[in-house]
Amino acid sequence: MAIRLMIVDDSSVIRNRIARLVADPRLSYVEICGLAGDGLRAVELAREQKPDLVTMDLTMPKMDGEATIEALVSLLPDVRILVVSALADRTTALRAVMKGAHGFVLKPFRDEELLHALLELQA
Amino acid sequence: MTVAELRPEHIELFSTTVTEFFASISGDPAIVRSAYLLENSADPVLWNDFNGLIEISGGYVGTVCFSAPRSLLTHVLLLSGEGQYGDEQHLDIVGEIANQFSGRARLKFGAALEISTPFAFAGRARQIRGRAKSAPYAIPFSWRGYEAGLVVNIETAEQA
Repeated sequence: MAIRLMIVDDSSVIRNRIARLVADPRLSYVEICGLAGDGLRAVELAREQKPDLVTMDLTMPKMDGEATIEALVSLLPDVRILVVSALADRTTALRAVMKGAHGFVLKPFRDEELLHALLELQA
Repeated sequence: MTVAELRPEHIELFSTTVTEFFASISGDPAIVRSAYLLENSADPVLWNDFNGLIEISGGYVGTVCFSAPRSLLTHVLLLSGEGQYGDEQHLDIVGEIANQFSGRARLKFGAALEISTPFAFAGRARQIRGRAKSAPYAIPFSWRGYEAGLVVNIETAEQA
């Protein structure tokens, strides 16, 4: 069964890049079920699409990443969330994990870094 | 939470961030030249085709602005595999790069340095007015022959 991925980032360039990476054959079992440019839209989409996996930016308009993680975990307790953010301090990473994130990839990321993080999240 | 002042070594952090960002996306590091204070300068703070501005809040106040020519940003878009090269994509990427430069600064300043979502705009020769009273630093650099710059103006909330 396919794993449903939602990509959440306020940059369309980053959303598109992650979407292209998911086309890698190693992630052939992953299908994209939604793209969101802010936290509110992500929560709306999650209600409709029920993703299994989410890549999550932290600095976003309307609802930031931390609040969105909380909302998604409350809505879908089994969802796995990979934070993809430029916020480089340890406190931010720990806070995201405490709210329910399962991994953290720092921007700028290399394609292989993100691929490995997504593969590890599914292991 | 400890709040540090902006010092020359923090400028070094931004310089390193710029160098490493371009090395990471292309294998070629940016060549960062000496930063200088824009004190009493009548020069425009922003001088390039596209600008991404981040407002700083929390334990600090100020702005971080990345200013770049269209050609540099087109090159970055190409490297990221983007298939569209209109103004919308250039505004998006200039804001995203400003966000990434500012986010990396939290390595030094910690989570007390809160950063806004990017405000991206096109156009040349604009002064920016942040809440910080101190003079901004300009950090000019080149990458693959393109000239761009970062303007950093951060101080502690108590200083402002």
